[in-house]
Amino acid sequence: MFGLPDITIAAVGGVVVIVIIALLYWGLTFQGHD
Amino acid sequence: MADMITIVIIGIYFIAMLAIGAWASKKIKNTEDYLVAGRSLDFWVFVLLMIGTVASGMSLLGVSGLGFKLGWPTIWEQIFVPLSIGFCIIFFGVKLHNVAKTAGYMTVQDYLAHRYESPTALRSLSAVAGIIVSLIYLVGQYTAIAIVLIAIFEIPLWLALVIATLVVTAYTTIGGLYAVAWAGVVQSIILIGGVCLMAPLIIWKAGGFTHVNEVMASVNPSLVMPWNPAGAFALPYVVSFAVLLMVGLACAPHVINNILSIRDVKYFKWAPLIAFAAYGIVMFLLKFTGFAGQVLVKEGTIVLPKVANAGDYVILKGIESAIPIEAIWAVFAVIVLAAVMSTTDRLMLTIGAMFSWDIYKKILKPDAPDDRVLLISKIVVVLSALVTMILAINPPEMLAILIWMGIGVMLATFAVPLLAGLYWRGATREGALASMALGLVSALLFGFLNYFKVAVLGVDFAKIPLHFSAYAFIISIVAMVVVSLLTKKTAEKVLDETQTGWYISKQ
Repeated sequence: MFGLPDITIAAVGGVVVIVIIALLYWGLTFQGHD
Repeated sequence: MADMITIVIIGIYFIAMLAIGAWASKKIKNTEDYLVAGRSLDFWVFVLLMIGTVASGMSLLGVSGLGFKLGWPTIWEQIFVPLSIGFCIIFFGVKLHNVAKTAGYMTVQDYLAHRYESPTALRSLSAVAGIIVSLIYLVGQYTAIAIVLIAIFEIPLWLALVIATLVVTAYTTIGGLYAVAWAGVVQSIILIGGVCLMAPLIIWKAGGFTHVNEVMASVNPSLVMPWNPAGAFALPYVVSFAVLLMVGLACAPHVINNILSIRDVKYFKWAPLIAFAAYGIVMFLLKFTGFAGQVLVKEGTIVLPKVANAGDYVILKGIESAIPIEAIWAVFAVIVLAAVMSTTDRLMLTIGAMFSWDIYKKILKPDAPDDRVLLISKIVVVLSALVTMILAINPPEMLAILIWMGIGVMLATFAVPLLAGLYWRGATREGALASMALGLVSALLFGFLNYFKVAVLGVDFAKIPLHFSAYAFIISIVAMVVVSLLTKKTAEKVLDETQTGWYISKQ
């Protein structure tokens, strides 16, 4: 896909997806207020 | 000399920055206004300030240059540099904000002095280390500004540096963090918008994303792999590089001090994701532009100058080729200037804060009135600009090495005392002092040994598998743990006041 080896797609895409899920989770669960 | 359109476009940008400084100066009533913008920054100002602070001159020229040279194994900086903003907010920001609003912190050194019951020793060590590291980083930023102005205006180096110094120093000195933050808003919008418009045109000019990857694979299959089989950007190096960028930038004094300036902790809810998405897109596009440069050079569409850092010219030459309109080149110069100046102004203000507040007010003259501290802040901002400008005009050879080490030294010096202070109740003052001092010294030592490819005690520092800063980081951790276990614990009352423990926030 995109002229790239599968391992590149899996490694880079996987880390990006994990980071986005983690930051989404943080946003949905953080209850901080002043 | 540049044509009139170029001069007008860059002139408008400079005037806009000075106008922001003049507007912001009217909001400055005391030191708190000057150093932390009266703790009043709203969500978008804070997010764009964080992006602008992290986005340096390297973001445009260096990132695409590294992509051009080494390909996909360098893609990890596109993820972990934008993620440094989220790391800073989540792991440092929530607690620091909560404690700072009651304790009235002006700098992160206030937190370290409070948490470790070290009003003089740790505060001064941390402030001096912060000032030195920030000054080194600042020289690199001024050099980048000068490179752009020389290329566009074809003027001497000294004149380019004087122009850049005058503009940045003027709005930073009179407007403090209000000016830096609002200039950051404009600069970040210019950076994000400009890259999103220009980079796709360069990639399209090279035949599109898939074609670019196919050509790179035909030149050298390792250029499209996620890491190299050995040496630089092999998997262990990539992991240490990711930690370096994410944690090192997050705890850099000019980045982490932004945390103290927000109005409400609720902004931390979505700021990490939005900052990651916005800056991540910019970073990926810049890297892909570097990849496209491989095709444009191979097919003879662009020719790079025969210099050591030829890759850094890829994006400039790519724009000249994809968009042959001179006014657009001037806009690109503004984008680079915006990226560089948004870091430069924050660094200068951070140096001013660390000297005027941590050293002058808290150590040398505790009874100094507020207007005197404010005046000292402004004087130090101007002096830091002058010193770095002189160093950038005629940089000593050693300086280039120190700039290269910049983020690694920040990681090894500040990360462990901050993380241990926030999360481990067993961390002590002596542990923090040992951790910071040994981290700083070992990072400088390992950096030199690695840079000069020296072999010591059977260890060839040219072939170490991790980034040099990782070893200094480990030494810093060991020093913190061992010394803390052997020394007197911090008072429980202080640990409770500073919300120390294995949690991010108490619900």
